[in-house]
Amino acid sequence: MASPPILSLALPSNTGRVLSIQSHTVQGYVGNKSAVFPLQLLGYDVDPINSVQFSNHTGYPTFKGQVLNGQQLLDLIEGLEANNLLYYTHLLTGYIGSVSFLKSVLEVVDKLRSINPNLTYVCDPVMGDEGKLYVPEDLVSVYREKVVPVASMLTPNQFEAELLTKLRIGSETDGRKACKILHAAGPSKVVITSINIDGNLLLIGSHQKDKEQAPEQFKIVIPRIPAYFTGTGDLMTALLLGWSNKYPDNLDKAAELAVSSLQALLQRTLNDYTSAGFDSKSSSLEIRLIQSQDDIRQPKLTFKAHKYS
Amino acid sequence: MASPPILSLALPSNTGRVLSIQSHTVQGYVGNKSAVFPLQLLGYDVDPINSVQFSNHTGYPTFKGQVLNGQQLLDLIEGLEANNLLYYTHLLTGYIGSVSFLKSVLEVVDKLRSINPNLTYVCDPVMGDEGKLYVPEDLVSVYREKVVPVASMLTPNQFEAELLTKLRIGSETDGRKACKILHAAGPSKVVITSINIDGNLLLIGSHQKDKEQAPEQFKIVIPRIPAYFTGTGDLMTALLLGWSNVTFLFLLLP
Repeated sequence: MASPPILSLALPSNTGRVLSIQSHTVQGYVGNKSAVFPLQLLGYDVDPINSVQFSNHTGYPTFKGQVLNGQQLLDLIEGLEANNLLYYTHLLTGYIGSVSFLKSVLEVVDKLRSINPNLTYVCDPVMGDEGKLYVPEDLVSVYREKVVPVASMLTPNQFEAELLTKLRIGSETDGRKACKILHAAGPSKVVITSINIDGNLLLIGSHQKDKEQAPEQFKIVIPRIPAYFTGTGDLMTALLLGWSNKYPDNLDKAAELAVSSLQALLQRTLNDYTSAGFDSKSSSLEIRLIQSQDDIRQPKLTFKAHKYS
Repeated sequence: MASPPILSLALPSNTGRVLSIQSHTVQGYVGNKSAVFPLQLLGYDVDPINSVQFSNHTGYPTFKGQVLNGQQLLDLIEGLEANNLLYYTHLLTGYIGSVSFLKSVLEVVDKLRSINPNLTYVCDPVMGDEGKLYVPEDLVSVYREKVVPVASMLTPNQFEAELLTKLRIGSETDGRKACKILHAAGPSKVVITSINIDGNLLLIGSHQKDKEQAPEQFKIVIPRIPAYFTGTGDLMTALLLGWSNVTFLFLLLP
């Protein structure tokens, strides 16, 4: 038998090596199913740890499958460490279902940073949406007090940003202020992925390049699409990771590319369902991820960031 | 909250929807890590069932992780069925580590075919290589007697083709004969992915379009690359699935 494999790590990566700890559903595009393929399209080596393996996502009437516990997560990390396979440029996390698992993730952050102090931790602090919590309440304080401080980039939605900052976000000024509070707590990059202000939908991004200076902030106006989709948040965070690494000093450009890709995909999804004769408002739609790969790899820039002065 | 999602299955697929039951390694490109991305690039919707989740492949000095048992596999299928999500155009399997899991896979084949009688089952009968078995020996007869008869396309290597046909393959003629034996047992498409004959490396492919006629057969000469790789067999089978799918080729016609 050949001698032990040469680690692919020995080869330089043009882009990055991402450890992505998210759910896996056999069918559908949420969690790792939504995040990994786009990052691979953008040229990243992605190592997924599947925190669960379910038949389908939990929005369906029923689902079956298996859940990873914190110890099993750490076992996998141990296996990687034993083979010198723990050098990552990025860590990506999304939905986490329990405090114990979240605490194990914090151990992983420490471990990875002990090997690569420059690790970029992109954290989507998934807790809820539109005023409703869909994780156990005790996760909120763990995110706020333990996770945010160690994140490099945070991608909360409006509700999650409010929970983490204890600030009500009713205006663009509030959104910008929330970003500043989050910068002070940890991450130098914050993207509030969707804010509902006066009936308009906005993305607000903020990059604090220097702790002594005010952050560079911008907004992107997002169209309201008359349909529900699943997996778009996970996809958005993956795209933000992918593009912000390629444009590390231009978060606004990265966000423009991410939004352009996502919107093209959503339009295609809506069109495909409508063409097939479905009422897009009757239930949430599975995104046409595979069919939109060109839009992910080479998005047409259709959205512009407006920088705040 | 919105009512139950519209099944993406309702949308026509240009290419296909593949259920791929293979290993998952966090790091590295073997099993589903090697097969899924290429198929997605070729435009397929791929639904992976990860039969294991290991830190890395088993060629490294050590590995850690979890293994799915047959019941857990069937649980996932049950979940899909309850949501009317079991319509697949293709089933893809590779390395399977136990007879019990292999028997559960056979149940899955039946179940999928009861929903889509035209299901294409692409089976890589992973058992060993270069004369050495690397699965439990009792899998061999299960592959030969139970799996081969239900496969649509089979992608054995030389050693596996010998095990399944009980024929020694020492020449191109032997390779072609082995394909005919396999056609008679089940699959209309057979690709012996690498055969070592007189120091040359060949692929031999065989397609029996009509049970009454001789199969169309061909060979491709493959260069010997002076290195070892892992995951190439899984990748090859995925690429063969991807390109051999009739619908996909039709789309490429000008």
